[in-house]
Amino acid sequence: MRKQTLSGILGVLAALMIGGLVLALQGFNPFSTYGALLQYSLFSASGLSAMLSRAVPLVLTGLSASIAFGSGLNNLGQPGQLVIGALSATLVGLFVPLPPLVLIPMCIAASMAGGLLWSGLAAVLRRAFAMDEFIVTLMLNFIADYFTLWAITYPLFDPTALSPMTRPVSTHAWLSEVAGINASVLYMVAATVLCWLLMSKGVSGYEWRMMGQNRLFARIGGCRVDAHYVRVMLVTGALAGLAGGLMVMGGPHRFVKGLGANYAWDGVMIAVVANNSIPGTFFYGLLFSMLQQGAIGMELVTAVPSEFIDVLQAIIVLVVVAGRVSLNLVFDHIATRKKLRESLQ
Amino acid sequence: MNVFYGLYSAMLVGATPILLAAIGGAFTYYAGIFNIAMEGMMLVGAFCAVLGSFFLHSWMLGIVSAIAGALVMAGIFVLFAVRLHTDEFLTGIALNLFAVGLTTFLLRDIFHVKGAFTDPGIVAVPSITLPLLGKIPVLGRLVSGYNAIIYVALLVTIASAFVVFRTSFGLRLRAAGYNAACLNSSGVQTPGIRVWSLVLCAVCCGLAGAYLSLGSVRLFAENMSAGRGWISLAAVILVSGNPWGISIISLLFGFFDGLTVFLQGSAIPTQFTAMIPYVATLVSLYFYSVQKRKTS
Repeated sequence: MRKQTLSGILGVLAALMIGGLVLALQGFNPFSTYGALLQYSLFSASGLSAMLSRAVPLVLTGLSASIAFGSGLNNLGQPGQLVIGALSATLVGLFVPLPPLVLIPMCIAASMAGGLLWSGLAAVLRRAFAMDEFIVTLMLNFIADYFTLWAITYPLFDPTALSPMTRPVSTHAWLSEVAGINASVLYMVAATVLCWLLMSKGVSGYEWRMMGQNRLFARIGGCRVDAHYVRVMLVTGALAGLAGGLMVMGGPHRFVKGLGANYAWDGVMIAVVANNSIPGTFFYGLLFSMLQQGAIGMELVTAVPSEFIDVLQAIIVLVVVAGRVSLNLVFDHIATRKKLRESLQ
Repeated sequence: MNVFYGLYSAMLVGATPILLAAIGGAFTYYAGIFNIAMEGMMLVGAFCAVLGSFFLHSWMLGIVSAIAGALVMAGIFVLFAVRLHTDEFLTGIALNLFAVGLTTFLLRDIFHVKGAFTDPGIVAVPSITLPLLGKIPVLGRLVSGYNAIIYVALLVTIASAFVVFRTSFGLRLRAAGYNAACLNSSGVQTPGIRVWSLVLCAVCCGLAGAYLSLGSVRLFAENMSAGRGWISLAAVILVSGNPWGISIISLLFGFFDGLTVFLQGSAIPTQFTAMIPYVATLVSLYFYSVQKRKTS
């Protein structure tokens, strides 16, 4: 655990240095660029609030991917599950006239049910026809994308809007701000804590992790791997769906075209850098949302295009992941030498 | 009859990038690499093709720079997955993300546009009219007058089948995937073979990218590979890498892709017709899985 934290910090620093080098080569000043990045995310009240809201879908889809990968499942369907979840929440928010106390939980439940349904479809195809979830969830992403685009272009289209979007959901489904921070952030933190408890304290979490490390071992040890498989699919789908629902309820209050587009692969990316650890996912989710939020301000004050952050994120992923393997070799080497010296004395 | 020709050429247009990328993926599949970076290689290829064609005023150099761009991606893959032993799947995902980020960044940085770049200065890859065959009434229209890269794709398919099944390199390639330890003990370095398979994959994906941006259209749009790399990966897995199988599957997807374009004017919303290739992938995966279950 400590090794992971250390290699993660070193990796991020190295990636930032490489990013700075890229900036310097392009003729930009890396220090003022990174300064602006921090200024508009961490060190201003509005930036911090926006950054935390932005972290909601990142962390939740990251948790979804972390739990799936950690349990040995290739659920790459977070983007699809997210938009279906968002659509479900929007539907409830549009057509159910109830007071906030009932409507908000209903919207949240609907978003989770939507995501769960979409990942459940992949689970059913796997269980019934042995279709690999890797390809199925990928293809379902595109199908969900086009389906939601159709839904907001024709049946749910807001006639007053210029681009495809739904009408705003009932104000009763809006998540309020608590001390300048959107309530969706609280749900995100709660979900993270629950996931952490589930994965590191619960029995099923233990069994899931065993499944991820060695499916055969888990089965022989008495885990019902097939039942667990379906459960992990459903849980991870619900998490991604929740991300979509919270985005609608906390942000634009309607389903806008391209809602999930910017977050499409970020969940998978965060799970990959965090090596499927739940606290790691949370912190990398915050880091990436900081970069993405700061990018907007960075573009305002420096000439660096905000797309630079996409490059920086990919560099972080590559360097941290590769660094973890190489650093582990170094750590093992040091540990072995230490042991050797002790045994010689 | 015109509808038939239209659908036929739309099928070829849709099939070519998938075919090329899938042939590239087949090389790495045989070498035992779980390579999902075709999408990223294709995207970088498409961008570099426009870059080369626009600044060097030649489609030939556009294709060369597309291949060079894809090779750089393959180089990163080699550095991380083969040299540093990073997980291949993770490297692939990171590379795909890198490709999207890099191309959008450079699109903004070099061409100062967002979304898409198109310019009369981009030289497209020309179509080729075959000298004698082109004059035959029906056959001529079926085989002649298509984009040069489509013919290259055909040659690449035949060449890849020959290389994989008829040459000693192909034997080593398959051995690297089948039993790497055995290949090592026979005195051939498996990592070396894997690097070559990635190089071949990059060349194919570069061509696929060049076709996307200089062949069927003459522009570069953000994320214009639009999941074609993933479909080609599905194609490779479905037929276990066999180039002939890949060409059949690619034509099938090309057909459905062409159908999408054709149904655009009809009453069916475009969002549903656009789903067709992805649904087709799921359906073919269904048949593959059922078949596999029966045989095992």
